[in-house]
Amino acid sequence: MKHIFRVAVFSGLSILAASCDSFLDVNVNPNAPVNENLTLASKLPAALNSTATQEVLQLNQLGAFWGGYWGTTSEALASFNDIKYYDGIGIRGSRDGIQIWENTYNILLYYKLIKDQAETEQAGFYAGISKIMMGWHFMRLVDIYNNVPFDEALQGTNMPQPTYQSGQEVYQKSIDLITEGILDIKSASVAPASDDIFFAGNRTLWAKFGNTVKLRALLQQSEVSSQSGYISAEIQKIIQEGSGFLGIGENAYCNPGYLNTAGKMNPFYETYYRNAGGATVANHTNIRPTEYLIEKYQALNDPRLDQLYLTASGSYKGVRFGNPVAADEYNADNTSALKGPVENGNQPAGLLKSFNQSTVILSSFESLFLQAEAAERGWIDGAAATFYRQAVAESFAYIGLSGSEAETYTAQPAVALGEAGNRIARIIEQKWLAINSINSFQAWNDFRRLGLPDFPNSESAPSADARPLRLMYPETELQTNRDEVNRQGGDNITSDRVWWDID
Amino acid sequence: MNRLYTSILLLAMYANVLALHAQEHVTIRGRIIDQGTSKPVIGATVSIKENERSGSSISGSEGGFTIRAHVNQTIVVTNVGYLPAELKVINEQEPVLIALVPDNRQLSEVVVTGALGLQRSARELGTSAQVVDNEHLNQGRVINPLLALASKVSSLRINASDATSGKTDPSVQVRLRGTRSFNRAQNDPIYVVDGVPIPDIGRLNPNDIESITVLKGANAAALYGSEGVNGAIMINTKAGSRGRGTIQFNNATTFSNVFLLPPAQTEFGQGQNGVYSATTAESWGPRFNGEMMPFGPPINGVQPEIRYAAPGSDNRLEFFDTGVTTQNDISFSGGDEQSTYYLSVQDVRIKGVIPGDQSARTGARFNGARNFGKLKTAYSVNYIYFDRNTTPDGPWLSVYTQPANLDYSEYRNWEDPNSPAHPLNWYNTVSSTKNPFFMADNTRNTAKQQTLNGRIELDYQFTDWFKAIYRLGYYNTNEDTRAMTGKLASPIGARNVNGSVEDGANTFRRLNNDLILNFNKQFGDFSTNLLLGQNVRMDETKAIGVGASNLLLEDLFNPGSRIGELSGSSRIEQYRSLGTYGELTGGYRNYLFLTLTGRYDQVSVLSKDNRGYFYPGISTSFVFTDAIPSLKDHRVVNYGKIYASFNRTGNVTLSPYSLNNPYSQSGGFPYGSLVGFLPSLTNPNPNIEPEFVTSYEAGFQLALFNNRLNIDAAYVYSDSDGQIFTALSSSATGYNNSIVNAGRLTNSIIELSLNGDVVRNNSLRWNLGFNFSYTDNQVKELYSGNEFRIFRQSYAIIGQQYPTLKVSDYARDPQGRIIVDENGNTSTLDDNTVLGTMVPPYLMGLNSTVTYKGFQLGLQFDARMGGWIYSEVVPRMYTAGTHPATVAYGRQPFIMPNTVIDNGDGTYSPNTSVESRGDKAFWQSQGNVQINTAAKGDYLKLRELNLSYTLPKSWLSNQRVISAASIGFIANNLFIIRHSSNTLGDAESLYNQTDGYLSFRQIPPSRTYGFNVNVTF
Repeated sequence: MKHIFRVAVFSGLSILAASCDSFLDVNVNPNAPVNENLTLASKLPAALNSTATQEVLQLNQLGAFWGGYWGTTSEALASFNDIKYYDGIGIRGSRDGIQIWENTYNILLYYKLIKDQAETEQAGFYAGISKIMMGWHFMRLVDIYNNVPFDEALQGTNMPQPTYQSGQEVYQKSIDLITEGILDIKSASVAPASDDIFFAGNRTLWAKFGNTVKLRALLQQSEVSSQSGYISAEIQKIIQEGSGFLGIGENAYCNPGYLNTAGKMNPFYETYYRNAGGATVANHTNIRPTEYLIEKYQALNDPRLDQLYLTASGSYKGVRFGNPVAADEYNADNTSALKGPVENGNQPAGLLKSFNQSTVILSSFESLFLQAEAAERGWIDGAAATFYRQAVAESFAYIGLSGSEAETYTAQPAVALGEAGNRIARIIEQKWLAINSINSFQAWNDFRRLGLPDFPNSESAPSADARPLRLMYPETELQTNRDEVNRQGGDNITSDRVWWDID
Repeated sequence: MNRLYTSILLLAMYANVLALHAQEHVTIRGRIIDQGTSKPVIGATVSIKENERSGSSISGSEGGFTIRAHVNQTIVVTNVGYLPAELKVINEQEPVLIALVPDNRQLSEVVVTGALGLQRSARELGTSAQVVDNEHLNQGRVINPLLALASKVSSLRINASDATSGKTDPSVQVRLRGTRSFNRAQNDPIYVVDGVPIPDIGRLNPNDIESITVLKGANAAALYGSEGVNGAIMINTKAGSRGRGTIQFNNATTFSNVFLLPPAQTEFGQGQNGVYSATTAESWGPRFNGEMMPFGPPINGVQPEIRYAAPGSDNRLEFFDTGVTTQNDISFSGGDEQSTYYLSVQDVRIKGVIPGDQSARTGARFNGARNFGKLKTAYSVNYIYFDRNTTPDGPWLSVYTQPANLDYSEYRNWEDPNSPAHPLNWYNTVSSTKNPFFMADNTRNTAKQQTLNGRIELDYQFTDWFKAIYRLGYYNTNEDTRAMTGKLASPIGARNVNGSVEDGANTFRRLNNDLILNFNKQFGDFSTNLLLGQNVRMDETKAIGVGASNLLLEDLFNPGSRIGELSGSSRIEQYRSLGTYGELTGGYRNYLFLTLTGRYDQVSVLSKDNRGYFYPGISTSFVFTDAIPSLKDHRVVNYGKIYASFNRTGNVTLSPYSLNNPYSQSGGFPYGSLVGFLPSLTNPNPNIEPEFVTSYEAGFQLALFNNRLNIDAAYVYSDSDGQIFTALSSSATGYNNSIVNAGRLTNSIIELSLNGDVVRNNSLRWNLGFNFSYTDNQVKELYSGNEFRIFRQSYAIIGQQYPTLKVSDYARDPQGRIIVDENGNTSTLDDNTVLGTMVPPYLMGLNSTVTYKGFQLGLQFDARMGGWIYSEVVPRMYTAGTHPATVAYGRQPFIMPNTVIDNGDGTYSPNTSVESRGDKAFWQSQGNVQINTAAKGDYLKLRELNLSYTLPKSWLSNQRVISAASIGFIANNLFIIRHSSNTLGDAESLYNQTDGYLSFRQIPPSRTYGFNVNVTF
């Protein structure tokens, strides 16, 4: 027994005597890699995919409700309440709110870390992509919150309370960032390959994409008269750069190789249609097009309607956004759901094509509508009517309709640009019909910029003429950076505007 | 605290009894032993009760004594620290064995389990310690020993996530002397079983526990290292005792029923806008009329019907079962001169109040000890098998948001495809309001957990002043978990249920190794005690999960038969620490003590530069009743001690691998060969340093009136600064959180314990114990900004207590009246209103034990005051139209009382004409004003009741099989008095480590009552 005791004592002491350092050196993470372990090519796809997911879910959803496209069935009266009621405080909440601020800055961080690594490794293409995407996201933030941190943002604990800059300044700096990004890409020696899930390393398409994003940003400030000099100077830069804009057949699509597995499907398809098991999801039962939208398609004899929606009892029937009163006519069974391949003889339908359909970041038709508007305003060369017809044709093609159907459609007096009284309004109306539920956020942006098209307000709006103009700064920001928030003035959702929204 | 042992004098007599004449002198020989340890009691006084002057005898080194007495006289045995024992002299007797019962009421002699599990005289301690013995612990026959501690120790706050509810495996939160860390998961005390720290004691058999010593505050636990910063709960398990072996059998069977449901209306049923709907789950229909109405969709062409009326006063109760808990416990113990053993087996079965919920726990413990001359050995093995099968949170949520016209007794049999109860026929298609019986059956979580805990202790006495102790502890848990949901296919999206399964395997291993050298020497009036120790700790965790979110078949739960890809994860964690520590206690004449402690820790989770840290402590105690001659043998003051301490304790609450930012694949990656890594959004800090808690404590202990009244009072201040916590960051920094050394919390605490015998005579004894604490906890500093949200409505706000309830409130005029607009609608303020702390600052416990002959009535009251609670259940009831407020005005337009109209010029006039609509939109908006669903959490409850009857010895005297037996009635939560504003639920409710939070996921609390049988062989 004494012997055992001595052994025990010695074993205790020997552990102490053994090099303490190596005994304690067990803090290398065996579960996950760290920054230094990973190449740019293993980071970029995840960042780009985050952009796509945010565009098609968080932003598209808010835009679809506030851009006049969506409402809910009677059964889902209580869903999406904060959106229907323009409940700014609810939306800014960190629990049940819509965390666009947080999500966007997180995505910006992903690109910023890639940019830093790319600059160290002199991988200009990656740096360029990051800059273009950072510009994209910063402008999205301005569109939603107006003044936001830019110079002091993304510094981690070095800048725990970043200073806000005016929305206009952030727009300008974002456009400059995109300009730099295009240059970086064009001068880069090595291009990414399949890890570039937008353009597979195609420099020209990246440049065109960058220019299109810039054009969109310039059009967004079209109503701010003091910006006209700045706008023309920036247009000149784009023209000088020379790559042009996304044109026919040139889409910014994201497809990492979607699989028929939960969480790996096309996010729009999985969120609004069916899951990997083929079962219908609740959103498909609850969300419906508005009556206004259905009537617009019908008034223009639009063949896209057939591809987009299902009939209920033989006819197309929409709902009223924010309608607080349940009525049988707006029940799920009595209204038009989105049409998918299952209801289309297993052929791709208008919006719902397949679990692995690409996510649309910026479509050729949106780009062509932007060019049509820019030409109409005399900013760029070319005939607005041509861009316009091409845009409609591209939209028809996306929805699965033929060129001749597009021509017939465009030839109608109510559609043809030439016969419009207000040509800008007609471009915006057709753009609105084309980007329906695809990039709906732009519909809300256009509505705030131009008041077009004139879709009805939410029936749960706090007052008849109160429209959502922005989001309030989020609760997390109030808790961590309150002085800066207070310095920006009012952030009321229905009365305070972002800088480019002048009425 | 000093608890009273049963004052039953155990007399084991090896005697033949013969009556003799009264005046005959006899010589009594015997031995005196300690009833608990069976060790001889040396120096006890033996005297003749009837003739004090006849002289007395003192027991010798083996406890033996001899005294002469007359027949029919009574000999009295007294010794400090024990209750007096009496023995009637009957005859010339065989040697008698007198077992003295320790009297822990005598503060002067209290022995506590101090740091490192070593027994220490309480008089040396410069800090507060309180002891709960087996009997008080098990008064309510509570399954979980931590829950059994609730309200029995001052400043000890125990809450359970489902403690008072019917779920079968509550998780327990333990807080000693307030909250010290913003890192909510890092406020638990250390649990030490027989000297070995183990991570969890919730599944320990409470019957195995001899006593629990609660060492409060960082000071007492300094020698345990950082984990002791939140106090220590020291558990001594039972050891056998020398002498005849005993067998104890105990059965307790209890029944539970839910109560304190938030009230519901029974006037309006299903529908919308006052119109009946056969397919709506919300209660916005017309007033009940008792007529038959269509219910749900037609089934095979037949339209089911329902009587449009409330079937009873509360249809929701039909959903719940009566819970049944059965405990069977048997133990064997005994020993001889050199060794002791204790063996126990316990089986606990719980059937929950939610249909189908159940758990079972079977555990066995073997404790043994053997002496080999100077070497003492002790060892123990504890094995616990735990099995749980429960449903997650959906069913109750479904019940309280559905109309009062449902008769749940009709829907139990949901499997019948022709029944309206079948999920494909259920009247509504909203996924949260499915048939609750279907939800409970269709979604199951199971866990099978095995715990093995072993200990070896060697104690070698080298010389009379030096011994060494070596202690090895091993703790291992293996857990198999499975979560499964049955597939239900329907063309209606909201009816669809994805079949899924998630299998998990979690293991945890801990090796704890202590070597302690103990030097103990007396120099004249001075005593010294030096402890030097070294601790090595190794923790290893592995968690594996494999699952499929889309199963192919309805009844095959295996990831192999899935659609899509397999999901899975695996995580390994290692933690190691090395500690070297010392404690030096100097005593002067056994009344003045000074203790110095110091410890140097090294932990694996910090960088090489920061991972070693030292922390000191000092404490002193002064027994003034021994030091001041005039107080010696004072008639009123029997014992008095004052003490004080200071400590600065280092702590590292960081998880392993937190110094670098880990990248992971999310957002669906990898897609085949395409990988995509994203960084964590918590900004790491490679230079994190240990945090330090500084604490001061001062207090006194008094024993008055012949030790009948004991008082223990303390003031404590602690300041935790430079805290390691995951702070909320402005997302504009890129990260949502940052790991920082920032933040400061202070606690000022007053503690008071009183214990005394109100009545003490031969047949009746009434003991009352009362404990009280007031904790003023304050947030002093945060990382960035003045506040952050801890969890939903609970916040850390500088200058406020932590956590604080902050809720939305109405826009009001300067007099506080609610403003309504021209439509009668109210509006809420942009900024939320602070109501107050969610942790009750005032904690009180009252224990009353009345013993009369064989009867004993034990009561444990618990009161907590000054906190706020918040319900998430009630807003949902407003929306669903089931809350009584929604029918207060008959669903008609009404003028909201005490409201004003804004005149637009800064003045307000009382509203006498503008009606509010009183419809769903209105009431839903009222439910969303969070101040409407907050309440004061004050309560007083009868936590435990135990009425027992011990069979008289005489009944058992004719046989030798059963030596003692008792039967009892036990009840928990028998009554509760709540603050008048609280109709929300039980204020003790805990959710996600947030006190006072009634989550929509939690089921109501339950009341328990049952029977207990205890037999000793």
